[in-house]
Order: sequence, then C-alpha cells, then structure tokens
Amino acid sequence: MNDTRPRSAVLAGIGHWLPPTVMTNEELAVRVAVTAEWLRSRTGIAGRHVADAGMATSDLAVEAGRRAMESAAAGEAAPDARNRIDTVVVATTTPDRITPATAPEVATRLGLTGAAAFDLAAACSGFLYGLAVADGLVAAGTAQRVLVVGAETLTSIVDPTDPATSAIFADGAGAAVVRAGRPHEPGAIRRVVLGSDGAGSDWIAVPGGGARHPVPGAHGSGQQRYLKLAGPEVFRNAVRRMTAAAREALARAGWEPADVDRVIAHQANVHILLAVRRKLGIPPERMAANIQHVGNTSAASIPVLLAQDAAEGRIKPGDRLLLAAFGAGFTWAATTLVWPELPGTARALR
Amino acid sequence: MPMPAAVLCGLGSSLPKRVVPNSRLVEENGLATDSEWILRRTGIAARHMADPRTSTGDLATAAGRAALDSARNLAGSPLVPDILLLATTTPDHRCPATAPEVAHRMGLEAVPALDVNAACAGFLYALTLAKGLVTAGLYTHPLVIGAETYTTALVDPHDRDTAILFGDGAGAILLRPGTASQPGALLAEDLGTDGSRTGLVRVPAGGSRTPFGSPGTTRKDFYLVMNGKAVYAQAVRRITASALAALDRTRWSADDVEAFVSHQANQRIIDDVAGRLGVPAARCHGNLRHVGNTAAASIPLALADAAERNLVRPGARTLLGGFGAGLAWGAHTLHFPEARPLTRSPHHADHQGAAP
Repeated sequence: MNDTRPRSAVLAGIGHWLPPTVMTNEELAVRVAVTAEWLRSRTGIAGRHVADAGMATSDLAVEAGRRAMESAAAGEAAPDARNRIDTVVVATTTPDRITPATAPEVATRLGLTGAAAFDLAAACSGFLYGLAVADGLVAAGTAQRVLVVGAETLTSIVDPTDPATSAIFADGAGAAVVRAGRPHEPGAIRRVVLGSDGAGSDWIAVPGGGARHPVPGAHGSGQQRYLKLAGPEVFRNAVRRMTAAAREALARAGWEPADVDRVIAHQANVHILLAVRRKLGIPPERMAANIQHVGNTSAASIPVLLAQDAAEGRIKPGDRLLLAAFGAGFTWAATTLVWPELPGTARALR
Repeated sequence: MPMPAAVLCGLGSSLPKRVVPNSRLVEENGLATDSEWILRRTGIAARHMADPRTSTGDLATAAGRAALDSARNLAGSPLVPDILLLATTTPDHRCPATAPEVAHRMGLEAVPALDVNAACAGFLYALTLAKGLVTAGLYTHPLVIGAETYTTALVDPHDRDTAILFGDGAGAILLRPGTASQPGALLAEDLGTDGSRTGLVRVPAGGSRTPFGSPGTTRKDFYLVMNGKAVYAQAVRRITASALAALDRTRWSADDVEAFVSHQANQRIIDDVAGRLGVPAARCHGNLRHVGNTAAASIPLALADAAERNLVRPGARTLLGGFGAGLAWGAHTLHFPEARPLTRSPHHADHQGAAP
C-alpha cells in the first residue's frame, strides 16, 4: 500500500529438506514411557523427521539451500554470474558449533565461498527476522541476492526421555532466495512486523551451555542442557503476539483477513494454531499445516511449510499470503506477500 | 541534495571491574609463560575479566544504556532505539537469544531484538545490517551492541594459547538517519567469509555437530581451540583485502585514512595490516594493551576508547576492519563520530535466568 521504497527484497526461489528418518509415535512411545495415543491426542503430531546421529544443522541447511538455489535458477533464462548470491543468513537455535557460526560453512558447501555469511538467533521467529534483515540489505543496495535459511536439529537439545518436548520438536530446513526488486511486484516481501519481549525469556529456554551457566561448569551436564518449555505462558503469549503481529502485517498491506488466500504460521502446536486462526477469522481450509508430519522445527518451520505448499500446488501464483511466527525470547514476526511465479518450485518437492 | 546515510550518534561501553594483568594471569593459572613474553607477542598487558555471575547480557545492557546516554547528551533529548542487534559469540543461553532480555532490561518494550553471530567480525556484520535497515527506511534508530564473556564461557584458563588473549566487555552504538557528510556517517563496507577453514578457530563440542553428552567428549572439547599461526596469516590477508575493498567503494585511498580502528586481536596483526595498507602507526587506534581480545565487543570498545581520549577529530576519515572464526571478516568506512562516549558498570540481572 504505502510502501514507497525504490527497492525491496523479492522472493526468487524456495526449497526445503527434511532428514529421511521419521520417528513415529509408536517408536517414540517406547522411549518416553507414554502411549502413542497419548502423544497423538496431546500434540496432534503423528510423526516427525529426525536427524541421524552425526547429522548437524549445516547438513540440513545445505540441502535446503541447494534446492532454493535450484528453484531460483529455474526462473532465469540462462545462468548469469550477476545472479550469484552475495549474502547467506542462517537462522538457527542449534548451530553446528558454539563458534564459529554455521553460515560460512553452509556458504562454502554451496559454492559461495567469499559471500557475507552470518547466523541469526531469534528462535522460531528467526526465518522472518532473516527475511527482514535481508530486505534491509537489498533495499539499501548492500546486497543483491540473499539466501535466507532456517535450519534446526532440535533433537540435539531435546531431552530424549521427555514426552512433551520430544513429541513436538523435530529437525528440518527450509530456505528462500530473495533478490533485489520492486515493492509492488509479485513476491515482494512487505515490511516485516517484528517484536520481542524479554520478560518471557525464561519460558522457552535451554538453561545451560551459555554465558550465564557455561558448559565447563557444572551446568553443561544433565537436565540443564535440554530445552524447557512453560506451556501455559507460552500458549497465552504466542496466541496474543502472533495474532497482533498478523493484524499489523495485514494493516500494512491494506488487506482484511478475508483477503488472505493462505496463512503460513509457525507450526508451534495445534492448539496455538487453532486459537490464532479463530482470532484472526481465517477459515480452516486457508490455514496451512504440516505439523502432523513435521512437528515444530523452529526457524525451519515457515520455509518448510511454504516450500511444501508451493510444490504441492496449495499455493498458486497471485495468492495473497500471510506469514506469522512466535518463539523463544519472546520474539514474534509477521509479513505478507503475493506469491510469485516460481518455475522451479516443483523441483523443491524432491 | 545531501546523500542520506546512517549516522553513529551514541557510543557506550561496559567493562567488568576486575582487571587482570599478565603477571597475575600467569600466576593464577600456572601458565608456562611470563608477563613480558605475552606483552611482546600480543601487545596485551591486561584484560578485564567477568566474575562468574556477570554475563554477556549484563555487559550488553550496561553498554547499551551508556550508548543511549551518550546519544541523549549529543542530541539534547532522548533517542529511543526501535530495533536492537546484539553481536555475540557467548549468548547468555543456547536458547533464547540474549537480545530480547537486554531490550527488556533497558526498558525497551516490544522492540525487535535479535542476536547476530559472526564471531569477532560480528559487530561489523550487525553494523551492516543496522545500516541497511536505516538506509532502507525500515528502522530509524538501531542499537547495535557487541558483548562477550569469553573468559568465563569459552576459554580454558589453563590453555596458554588462548587464555592470554581474551578479555570480556561490551561496546554499543546508536544509529540515526542523517547524511553522508556528517560526523558518524557510515559510508561503505565489505563483508566476506570462508567456510572451508572453520577448523582454525572453534569450539569442538556443544553444538548440533557434537551435542552435549556425545560419547567420547571431555570437558576440554567445550573450550575454544585455535591454530594461532594459520589464524595470524589469514587475519592479515583478509582484513587487508577487505579494507581495500571498502576503501575502493568509498573512493578513498589508504592515504586518505585519518584513523584506522581494527579488531583488537594481536598487535602484530594490526601492525602488519596497517603496514600493508600503508596507514602510518600514528593513525592506528586501539586499546588492546588494556582489554585484550574482546571478540565482537572489540571494535566499539576501541572506537569509544579513541573518542574518549580525543585521539581522532569528529568527522575524520575512519576505517574499521575485523576478522574472526568462520572464517568471517569485514571492513567499514565512516566519518569519526562526534558523540562523547560514556561507560557504565555491569549490573547483574534481577534473576539468573532460566534456572529451574
């Protein structure tokens, strides 16, 4: 609507990758001492993809990144050096190492050595935060083409014996290529609504392993290394913040909820998604979901869902999309875009 | 028409109270070296070290507040940040990011807040993102903080190769929209990485590649390890090339540079880079001797130090350069800011965070 910027980031390619191993509720039930039915009814999740031993976040990020780059390349008449990606953002809560960042390794493995590359931490909102900073870099003319990856191996920080968290959190990666373009063309990322509330920093957290309770001390071992979740506080804040951010993003676009063809919300859990959908007044068939088969993959959640929906034809060129996320921090984010023609999208299905 | 630019308008710092000179570091940790050798090899005489209760977030909050005080003094009225970017390798927790808690403790309700990790180049990366957001008109007053607690979080106190190098601290800057001719205006930058050399500086375990509790890991695997010789060679090469690229984009030659503020890792690296660029020693500014390598906090701390000591005139043509694990590197050109830097002591959080 009132976006008068000369340039903005425009979606040029999308891809995702999930590790092939699927952990069913039956398999998980053996480990966590509850029934498969309890897991299904409590979480609405039937199965989730999990990384094999030795598989790290960069391995997933590289696969998703490659697919997004192939998707972007398919939209070009011929390979063109000017279309080389100059910046790589990896949004993750589970980097390969405490240092260095994961993005430089991902860039090198994608043939992009020399590119600017960094990790971004904003938990489940990380991918949309990544799109926002990519939009800034592109609009400012600092970058021409940015690969934004959301990648997680949450199983590396989840207590394998805790039914609540190990039923929900899973592994995966999704990625988008954005290029410099015009704010009103299809695929343009509208100004991303971003926010945070550090008063909620304790409610989704890994207590140990950071500067507050460093690994070399006593806190690196035992339960301190696992992700903790305070359900009721998270639920209340997630619904409130995601709904408000989504409404603000709609207002920026000049859209009503009825104008939205598809909502791509962070797949946090089925109850949060249902509450957000009802509050926004979105009909069930317009609410995208893959949580039943993918679980909550944090920063990977939104690009994985986008790539799957696009590949399977549930998102079509011209569709008006609303993207919204909420996560640890607390952080939240939302934006809108009109889905562009992406000739390479079917490749992303592979 | 004047060229719009993001302008550095506030400068803050925070250092832990405890100063540890080389002699005490050697003695306390039984390091097989001596005070003189450390100074000669690195240019470091002392460093500030956080006590176990002082975290990255504590230092970041204090530096952030100091930067806002500095900006208010210059502007004559308070400036409120509308996004917070925290560059750190040592966040308070593995999850969530530290930036939201820092924003909350600073009283910045609901502002966007994110952590950026590009190791010792992190501040230059976060600065680039913030500059982009201002130039694009998306935000007006990003607060960019570099904060680290390497000595408590990552460094093995008994490893001579790393223990002598690192210190703790935080530096912060506030940006505002302005024009390219003003003191503090950010002009051009260059960023790059080489992920084929991740092994040169790294913490072997504790991430998703080798998670906590992986069989065969010992306590040592959770400390920083560094191939000093290879890092030295790469640092000199990469900072020099990146600085030349940034200078080229600014249409400056090395002769034009009135102030060079490098990442403070090792005096011999800084001298070598300056020599290759042809920047005279008198134009190189740093505080390595007193603070050691503070990773992502290093450049804003060195900028604040140079400003505090009135070593550089506001508006002077200034070059920043940095390098770190990743490998990741970067360089920026700017007009030296006129903001008077302020410093604050770190305060502990009301609670220790996420301790069940």
